[in-house]
Amino acid sequence: MSSFAHIQETLVSKYGVKPEVIKPEATLTELGLDSLSIAELMFDVSDHYEIEIPDERANFNTLGEAVALVDECVKAKGG
Amino acid sequence: MADAGARRRRVFVTGIGLVSPHGGEPDEVFERLYRGESAIRKVRTGTAELGGDALVAQAEFDPSGIIPKLQIVVMDRVSQMAVVAAHRALAESGLLADESGPADMGIYMGCGLGGSQALQDSYRIYFERRSRKPKPATVPLIMANGPAGHISLRYKLKGPSLTYSIACASSAAAIGEAFRAIRDGYLDRALAGGTEAMLNDGSVAAWEVLGVLAKEHADGPGASSRPFARDRTGFVLGEGAAVIALESEAAAQARNAAPIAEIVGYAGASDAHNLTQPAADGQVRAMRLALADAGIVPESIGYVNAHATATIAGDRIEIDAIKQVFAEHAHKLAVSATKSMHGHLVGAAGALEFAITALALNKRRVPPTANLTEPDPECDLDCVPCAGREMPDLAVALSNSFAFGGSNAVLVAKRV
Repeated sequence: MSSFAHIQETLVSKYGVKPEVIKPEATLTELGLDSLSIAELMFDVSDHYEIEIPDERANFNTLGEAVALVDECVKAKGG
Repeated sequence: MADAGARRRRVFVTGIGLVSPHGGEPDEVFERLYRGESAIRKVRTGTAELGGDALVAQAEFDPSGIIPKLQIVVMDRVSQMAVVAAHRALAESGLLADESGPADMGIYMGCGLGGSQALQDSYRIYFERRSRKPKPATVPLIMANGPAGHISLRYKLKGPSLTYSIACASSAAAIGEAFRAIRDGYLDRALAGGTEAMLNDGSVAAWEVLGVLAKEHADGPGASSRPFARDRTGFVLGEGAAVIALESEAAAQARNAAPIAEIVGYAGASDAHNLTQPAADGQVRAMRLALADAGIVPESIGYVNAHATATIAGDRIEIDAIKQVFAEHAHKLAVSATKSMHGHLVGAAGALEFAITALALNKRRVPPTANLTEPDPECDLDCVPCAGREMPDLAVALSNSFAFGGSNAVLVAKRV
């Protein structure tokens, strides 16, 4: 199952991002986050899924890329 | 540069912003204090295994509406409260336009412990989860100058941004240093004050073992902070932020701002005696130097907002110091300890108490020392027991702040 729904819900409830602007092709900067809050978001999501995202992989731009990375780490952990 | 090297300029308080145990609206906070209302409650702290009851004065605080969620996630409570207090000070002074303040404004903040919740959280992750990956924003969340940095960023203030950390006197020093910078022509306006948010398990436990906290009184939590009383047992930790807008006379006049009060003197002096025990000598010198700085005689002072935390030794030493400075006039002073109601805000204490002092001058009424039903015979000055008092002739007042580390800071304010 994709992590999109969970990340979307976190962005809305904790980061105050308006639901209508959340689209896979949007960059996190376009959603109003800066480097520090992007790092915080990935921390929250990693915490939720109990995964570790390798530092060298944290070079995503869009929300869709972030979701794909999280999904990959979740799958790797499960497998 | 404003007017460096100029003759001493007058410095006005043109706005007060509060996040306090008695709320955020200065007049309402003052009235609640004037009525002798305590904001001290008993709350459950700690984890399931380590939990205990603690007497605290929590701030009435809700950052939503002023701070967007996107910013809250990278701000410790200590910074959130500081930004809200700064917002209120800017708004009340009339300096807030399009969500920004004047670009030339300086920021002088006091803080004792910094982002103590974030510090505790990071240690919890390290020691409990055995993980070397705390929250990515941990360093900026914890750093002591986080509050000042957030205020600068949020309101686009580009003057000097400074943070003073001298425990319980941090924000009195911050206000005093801002006052000097404006008076001596280095700056035309500043936000000055303090913030503290450490009502979390780890910090409360650290204060408990120091043996300085009050025990619960038979009449309930609200009766537990008892400065100058015979049966006092120590202080109650509080939290909050207090920020004042300070402007040179010319800057205030240029925009027809109505001053709330004027700061006329400030001094700092150290005990060089003991890290946690106060000494009358340092307090006496701080008060004398502040009066000299203001160029006024002790007999002009009508009210002293005492540091008085309600420890056995501390209150007596302060009374002794006041007697040494004021001699016969000491018995004509009204001396009150508002910590009896709002608790000890540590890094925000000096600023909150200075704000109360400025409001007292403005209203010509002084708040009481609550719970002072039976005074300590050694605290034999007029400590305004239990009920606030009208003082129609009140013109000049002192606000004392004495800190761990032996640092003392005294501010002198005048009615405008």
